[in-house]
Amino acid sequence: MKVAKRLTSAGLTLLMAFSLAACSSTPQQASTDTTPSQPSTPTAPKTEPSQPTAEKIKLVYARGKDATDSTKKLVEAFQKAHPNIEVEIREMPADSGQSHDQYVTMFSAQSSEIDVFDLDVIWPAEFAQAGYLLPLDRLMEQDGIETGKYIKGAMDAGNFGGQQWTMPKFIDAGLLFYRKDLVSEAPKTWDDLIAQAKATKGKGGTKFGYLMQAKQYEGLVCNFVEFSASYGGKILDEQGKVAVNNPATIKGLKKMIEVVKSDFVPSNVTTFMEPESHTAFLEGQAPFIRNWPYQFALAQDQAQSKIVDQVAIAPLPAGDVGSAAALGGWMGGINKFSKHPKEAWEFLKFMTGPEGQKISAIEGGLAPTYLPAYEDADVQKASPLFANKDFVDGVSAAVSRPTTPIYPKISEVIQIEVSKALAGQQTAEQAVQNMETQMNDLMRN
Amino acid sequence: MNRSTKMSLSEKQMGYVLIFPALLIILVIAIWPVMRSFWISLHDIRLNDPTKSEIHSSYGLDMERYVSTLPNLLRYVKREADSAEGSSKEKLNALQVQIEQMNTSLNQTGEVASRYQMIDQLLLDFKPVPTELKYVSLSNLQTESIKNTLAEIRAVLLQMSEQKLLSKPEGALGVIQGIEASIIEPNFVGFAYYKKFLTDARMWGAMYNTAFFTVISVAIELVLGILIALLINRPFRGRSLVRATVLIPWAIPTVISAMMWKFLYDGQNGIVAYLFEQAGLIADMGMLLTTKAGAMFSVILADVWKTTPFMALLIFAGLQTIPQSLYEAASVDGATRTQQFFRITLPMLKSTILVALLFRTLDAFRVFDLIYTLTGGAPGNSTETISIYAYKTMFAQMSFGEGSALAVIVFLCVALISIGYVKILGADLLSDGSSK
Repeated sequence: MKVAKRLTSAGLTLLMAFSLAACSSTPQQASTDTTPSQPSTPTAPKTEPSQPTAEKIKLVYARGKDATDSTKKLVEAFQKAHPNIEVEIREMPADSGQSHDQYVTMFSAQSSEIDVFDLDVIWPAEFAQAGYLLPLDRLMEQDGIETGKYIKGAMDAGNFGGQQWTMPKFIDAGLLFYRKDLVSEAPKTWDDLIAQAKATKGKGGTKFGYLMQAKQYEGLVCNFVEFSASYGGKILDEQGKVAVNNPATIKGLKKMIEVVKSDFVPSNVTTFMEPESHTAFLEGQAPFIRNWPYQFALAQDQAQSKIVDQVAIAPLPAGDVGSAAALGGWMGGINKFSKHPKEAWEFLKFMTGPEGQKISAIEGGLAPTYLPAYEDADVQKASPLFANKDFVDGVSAAVSRPTTPIYPKISEVIQIEVSKALAGQQTAEQAVQNMETQMNDLMRN
Repeated sequence: MNRSTKMSLSEKQMGYVLIFPALLIILVIAIWPVMRSFWISLHDIRLNDPTKSEIHSSYGLDMERYVSTLPNLLRYVKREADSAEGSSKEKLNALQVQIEQMNTSLNQTGEVASRYQMIDQLLLDFKPVPTELKYVSLSNLQTESIKNTLAEIRAVLLQMSEQKLLSKPEGALGVIQGIEASIIEPNFVGFAYYKKFLTDARMWGAMYNTAFFTVISVAIELVLGILIALLINRPFRGRSLVRATVLIPWAIPTVISAMMWKFLYDGQNGIVAYLFEQAGLIADMGMLLTTKAGAMFSVILADVWKTTPFMALLIFAGLQTIPQSLYEAASVDGATRTQQFFRITLPMLKSTILVALLFRTLDAFRVFDLIYTLTGGAPGNSTETISIYAYKTMFAQMSFGEGSALAVIVFLCVALISIGYVKILGADLLSDGSSK
């Protein structure tokens, strides 16, 4: 009896422990994730399924939510040119981290349910390494795609292990937006920005001088990359070795700490992501903000902006070696398990080619990666940004975040260490040193 | 009568038979998943790495990757050789021969050669390669020789690229990496992850945060819970309404209450932050979520607000089981209110309090959604708990072996805590008189 009792009570303990442990982590992804390249909320209408004929091939194209009609228009134009192919749009969550996890689940099960899909600029290496993507070199060679006509950083982001895995669809880059009515000339350097932000704070109803994203999340990595690269700092070198511990990175990080700790940014700037910062800017609370290109369209929106027609745009301030913007944006890739790779390539080629990018730029306000598109009059008319030489230069000079299959881990190390440095828990030197040791450990495994 | 006793089991055996279904259930839903997690935690499993997506016990070759990258390597080397001159041209030609030799020696096993053709054809047609074709196992010797060859080639290429003899060095070097990645290595790592986590500052930081959060918040909740329970146990007008309203915070889903507190703590518009600043508790509204101490305090406050009602309700239920006659007898004997509380109420509540503590401690130890939504572990990981660390490792980084090791660590802690409580409780509750 005693043994049995012991057993039951031990069993009960374990059972209790387990069942309590089991219900602990509900995997609900919040917004800690990657660059919100497009703050899109409304749902794009699905394309109406037209009558399938016997020889018609159906492709499924997965992408994040589209606030505009551009995807629909793009698909219509493609179907007109290729009557034998029908494209169905599959919508993924607006949160790019959530999409990432869904794609990984789908592809690791070798599913062929989607053919073409959009990738955030930081995914290609990981997906290529995982064997989810169809390499495009052979196809690009066949069709004579001129890689030189694309923005180099965007093209490079899809290159891993000497092969091309994705084509760039549109590009995002960190930019400086400022109030024309309060600032006469955009600051050229970070020190210039600090001086102007200090001087302008409080004028014209503003509460702060500068807004940025400094919460512990992916956006922090972008901000850090911009500060560090403008002083010549690097995270990984060309060979993919860890190169983060160098005086330039430290200098950049110090400048970043100086800005975050200053009294011209909101005292809780370390809880700011894009929505917090752009809201404050739209409320007219600051003369300067670092944000992605969508900020411009938002500022022109009568419904939510108090600063319509008062916003101008400039490249981010420069450090010792110049101005650096973090590269964001989306790529297109083909699922390796797709049943119709050739047709999928046709669609991808169209979408990322001159015609497709023109439609996206005009209908969706997305910045093309295909350089000649910026000379197109219709594109220039679509958004004042595209006709602005500073914008095109800023975007073309964008610095990509490290291209590595273990990017999520590298990013997390940066988030934690920079966040600690910004919270005053460690110096810039210590942060950089910690990053180096941890990244080296990660690379070795 | 005699016959039937022969057939039936003794009382003791009967007892085991009755317990058997319970044991089976425990085995299937409790022990097996834990054992499975433990087994996985001994391997380096990554969902986003095809050579590591499952448990491999021997060396092998990912044929698909090998077949798709080898021609690229040859093409790169050939292209470099065509454009090079003199000694470097010879070097590159030698490299090409070396690569081809490596391939031929691999192809000597007929299996590899025949599969190579098939997979090459499939890849040309852009058709997926079936799993049964994909992996070939290699002997240790073969693996060794391939690895050596690749290392040699890489060394030569690296040297040449440093001397600026190559026109596109990153191409060939990248492809070499691709081929190296097609070699599957056994991914049994033993207790490496446990060793790693036991020396991992981040793990101990998370453990400390978890323990700190648990102890402080549960202690506050216990005291407040007892106070509230005593209060709502007294007769007063509108008592039932108060009893019901007290439960509201507990009834709100955690994620929603976390979002709510996020707004209350906000550095610009948060009312709680404003009140604290006015009261002089903090120097500046932004401090609540941006400093280490502030963030921990905020998280604990939100948790106390949310789960005190639960504590109060459990203790209130316990209070109602204490017979009123005890208090009457005590007051006849002249005991004061305080004496009654410490001599009657607390001792009678002991088992209720222990059960409530057990529930809350385990709950607090596994805290996830509240902190994930409120701070996400920020700033500088000062509110990252062990569950959040496990979640990030497992799902954001797809490192299943590593995440499983953390999950097992969480399990061990939770088991230890419950064993501790059950030991204390056992004397009171679970024992059926054998200890009497």
